[in-house]
Amino acid sequence: MERLKDVLSKVLGVDRSKITDDMSPNHVDSWDSFNGLLLVSELESTFKVKFTMDEVSSARCVGDIKNYLRKHGVVLKEA
Amino acid sequence: MSSNSHGSAMHGTLSFVEYLAEHKKLQSERSGSQKKKALKIALLSSFTTTGIKEVLSVKCFDAGVATDFYEASYNQFAQEILNADGALYQFKADVTILFIDIMNLLGDDFFFPYRLSDDDRKKVADVKCEEVFGWVKMLIAKGTGKVLLHNFRVPYYSPMGILENKQKFGFFEMVKRINERLADEFKNNSQIFVFNYDGFCSKHGKASIMDNKMYYLGDFKLRFDFIPFLCKEYMAYIKPLASLTRKCLVLDLDNTLWGGVIGEDGMEGIKLGPTPEGRPFLEFQKYILNLFERGVILAINSSNNPEDVEKALREHPNMILKKEHFAAMEINWNDKISNMRSIAGKINIGLDSLVFLDDLRSNRELVRLALPEVLVPELPEDPAEYLTALMELDDFNVLQLTAEDKNRNRLYALDQQRHEHRANSVSITDYLKDLKIVVTLAQADLMTVPRISQLTQKTNQFNMTTRRYQEEDIKSFSEDEHFRVFSVKVEDRFGDSGITGALVIERQKDVWRIDTFLLSCRVIGKKIEQAVLGFLIGRARKEHVRCLRGEFRPTEKNMPATSFYKNSGFSLKNELNGEETWERDVSIKYDSPDFIEVLWRG
Repeated sequence: MERLKDVLSKVLGVDRSKITDDMSPNHVDSWDSFNGLLLVSELESTFKVKFTMDEVSSARCVGDIKNYLRKHGVVLKEA
Repeated sequence: MSSNSHGSAMHGTLSFVEYLAEHKKLQSERSGSQKKKALKIALLSSFTTTGIKEVLSVKCFDAGVATDFYEASYNQFAQEILNADGALYQFKADVTILFIDIMNLLGDDFFFPYRLSDDDRKKVADVKCEEVFGWVKMLIAKGTGKVLLHNFRVPYYSPMGILENKQKFGFFEMVKRINERLADEFKNNSQIFVFNYDGFCSKHGKASIMDNKMYYLGDFKLRFDFIPFLCKEYMAYIKPLASLTRKCLVLDLDNTLWGGVIGEDGMEGIKLGPTPEGRPFLEFQKYILNLFERGVILAINSSNNPEDVEKALREHPNMILKKEHFAAMEINWNDKISNMRSIAGKINIGLDSLVFLDDLRSNRELVRLALPEVLVPELPEDPAEYLTALMELDDFNVLQLTAEDKNRNRLYALDQQRHEHRANSVSITDYLKDLKIVVTLAQADLMTVPRISQLTQKTNQFNMTTRRYQEEDIKSFSEDEHFRVFSVKVEDRFGDSGITGALVIERQKDVWRIDTFLLSCRVIGKKIEQAVLGFLIGRARKEHVRCLRGEFRPTEKNMPATSFYKNSGFSLKNELNGEETWERDVSIKYDSPDFIEVLWRG
C-alpha cells in the first residue's frame, strides 16, 4: 500500500494521508486523462506488472487499482 | 537560482514523472518574474506529444535558456502550417520541431503497402516527400526560425515476412527512400536540420519505442520513458542555437587518458593499447582526436611531473594524442582550479567555454563548486563506459562548421609560437611590427556569411554590441541596400588566422551606424581594431558619409571593448541603461597603426 501511495501522490500531487479507496478522478482535479495514463505507466514500472487495456479503461477509483494489482499477483499490505 | 550552464549536471538523470514535477515547480517559481529573453519553440506533431514541452523546458532551463512554447492542436499540424494568418506564424518561433509519425504520413498504405505495385510504392514515397517538402518550405517562407524535421521510423515488421527484401521496391525501402530524400533535399540548407528519428528509435530499440496500450488509449507514439531521451537529442540543436556551444575540452591524464598513474607506474606501466584494459583508453583518445580534428580545442589539467607526461606523449607507442594537439598544458602540482583559470587565460576564452573531464569525483566536485561556469560532466566509474559518456556530450555542437573551425588545431599551434616569439621581443610595438600583420576586408558573400554569423554567436570580448545573428540574418543584411557587411581576415608571418572579425553597418542618410563591430579573441591585442576603424573612416569618406555612429552595449565579458570609441576620438551622444551611443566626424584625422597593412577586396 505504501508504494501505491507513493505512486499516486507522485503522479497526482495529492497528499498521502488523503488517499482512500474511494478516491477517483471525480475528487482529484489533477487526475485527468493524461495523468491517468501516466499513473498506469508508473504503476506498471513500480510493480513490474502490465495491465490490459480493459483494466485501464474500467478502473474508476483507487480501490479498483488495488484489485487489479492484486489480480496481477501484487501483495498490498494495509498500513 | 544558479542554473546557468550547469547543463546536464542538475536534472540529468530524472525520470519522466520527475521532469513533469520539476516543470510544475519552475512554472510557479517563474510566474511573472521572467526577465530573460525566451527561446521560442514551436512543436508540431501528428499525434499526442504531451510531456515533450514540459521536459524540454526543464532541460533548457538547466542549460540557462528560458523558453516559450507553441504547441499545435492535436494532429492539426498540416492545417496550422497551411494557415498563413494562423497563431503558429504569429508566434514567430526561433525553432520549429516537426515530428510526424510514419503511420500518419502513409495512412492506410502503412497497413497495406502490398496492395500497391512496386512502382506505385515508389510513387507514393515520392508524393509523400513532396508533401513534407511543401510543409517545410511553407514554414521557412513564413519565418518560423530553424526547422528541426524528424525523419521517419523505418518499420521492422513487414507483411511480406521474410520475403520483404526480395521485393523489387519493398515496404522498408519505401520509408528509407523518404528518409534519404529528406536528407538530400536539405543537406545544404542551413535553416533545416533533419533529425534522425529512425536512428533514435534504433538506438533505444524499435520494439519498445511504442507502448501499444498508450498508443491505442491516447495516441502516444513514443513511450513516456523515452521523452527525456528525445529532449536530450533536441538539446544538441538548441544549445548552439542559444549560443551555448563550448569550445575547449580540458582533460585530466591519469585514469582518464590512460589507465594507471604515470608517476608511479611509469610510461611502460600505464594501460593504453590493444589489450582489454588498454583499449578503452585507446579508443577514448581516438574519439577525442576526432573532436580536435573537428575544431574542438584540447587542453590538459593534471597533477603530475611535466617531464613524465611529455615523455609519454612523445614516446608511448600507443599515445594517440600528442603535444601538438593541446593548446594549453597545465601539468604541475598546483590546484586544479588555478590551472583551469590559467588554461582559460592562455587560450583566451571564457571559463564557460570549457568542459572538464576527470575520473576523480572529488576533483569534479571541486571544480564544479569553485568554477560553476565550467561544465563538468560525470565520468562513469568504469573506463569501459568512458567513450559512450563522451559521445553523449552534446556541448561542442555548432550549427555550421566553417573552414576556420576545421583549421583551428593548426591556428592554435601557431598562437603558441606567437606567444613564444613575444617573449623574445623587446617591446610590444616591436613585436607587433615584426609580426607583419595584414588585414583584409571584404564585402560579405555566400562563402563568408556562415562564418560571420558564427562570429556574432561566439565572440564575447571585443564585441561592441554583442548582437547575435543567425546565418539568415547576416544574409539578409548583406542583400539589403541600407546595410553593409564586412568580413575581416587577419594574417601575419606565422600564418593565416582566417576570418576573425566582422562589421555590420547601417546607412542612415549621411551617417553610418555601426551595428556590429567584433574581433575574435584570437586576434585581439594587436591593434587590429584600430586598423579596421581606420579603414572604415577612409571608406566612409569615399562614400560621402559624414559621420560614424558607434554603439556600445556592455556585457559581463566585453570589457576589452569598453573604451574603444572613447579612445578613438568619438564623443558620447547618449547613454541609456548603460548602453552608449558615440559619434565621430569622419573628417577628423585618425592615426591608424602604420605597421598593419590593410587591404580592401570590394
